[in-house]
Amino acid sequence: MRNNPSPYNFPRWFDPRRRMPGSWAFILNRITALGLTLYLFMHLVILSKLAQGPAAYDSFLVLAKSTPIKLGELLVIAAGFIHGLNGIRVGLTSFGIGVRRQKLLFASLMTIALAGTLFFAYRMFLTE
Amino acid sequence: MDNASSSSPRENYLIWGIKILAGLFILVFLGIHFVVNHLVAPGGLLTYADILAYYQNPIIPIMEICFLVFVVIHALLGLRSILLDLHPPARFAKPIDIAFVVIGVSMIVYGAWLIFEVVQLGRVG
Repeated sequence: MRNNPSPYNFPRWFDPRRRMPGSWAFILNRITALGLTLYLFMHLVILSKLAQGPAAYDSFLVLAKSTPIKLGELLVIAAGFIHGLNGIRVGLTSFGIGVRRQKLLFASLMTIALAGTLFFAYRMFLTE
Repeated sequence: MDNASSSSPRENYLIWGIKILAGLFILVFLGIHFVVNHLVAPGGLLTYADILAYYQNPIIPIMEICFLVFVVIHALLGLRSILLDLHPPARFAKPIDIAFVVIGVSMIVYGAWLIFEVVQLGRVG
């Protein structure tokens, strides 16, 4: 099938044409999953600074408060909201809840994700 | 459906259920982890001294280890399902599973060691 996630259809993954909301939800879930897993590895490696003592950790804190790192953290927060809320939709619909209203459910949850991300963006960039 | 996909390994219901259940637990633990570490902390990050003090509460290391276990399980089962969606040949199924188990156990052991190290540093300091 044309949209099968086969390596041979790889270029098709990046083609936004003729996609239904379910397809977008699936793509968003997969992209955020890959991003969050990469972040998990980085988070564990960076936290090793804690075992190296206060000087090593404090130098990390200075870096963590720089704008590029904060932008990266905002991406992680957005990915967390999208993946977590989309995951709730997948869980609910898998048990037959809200199947007939999937589009509305997806749109509502992604609106909450956007609002949550904007809240954190405000806190991170305008109140600190 | 092509012939390759019918003979390639698939994610079974048990693995899928574990992934969903781990995801649910993550939502709970992530909420607590995030509020304490990033929302309540001044400037969005705890200082070194704050972290050592925070980990002296015995509930916290237990909660963080549970969080770590569920996150690693969910993340690696998710990666596995993405790989299986690419319909790898059946002979790759076992090496893929072994690799994920080794990576997962290593991450959990390393993370747990780090948490216990922080607890110890807090007791000494």
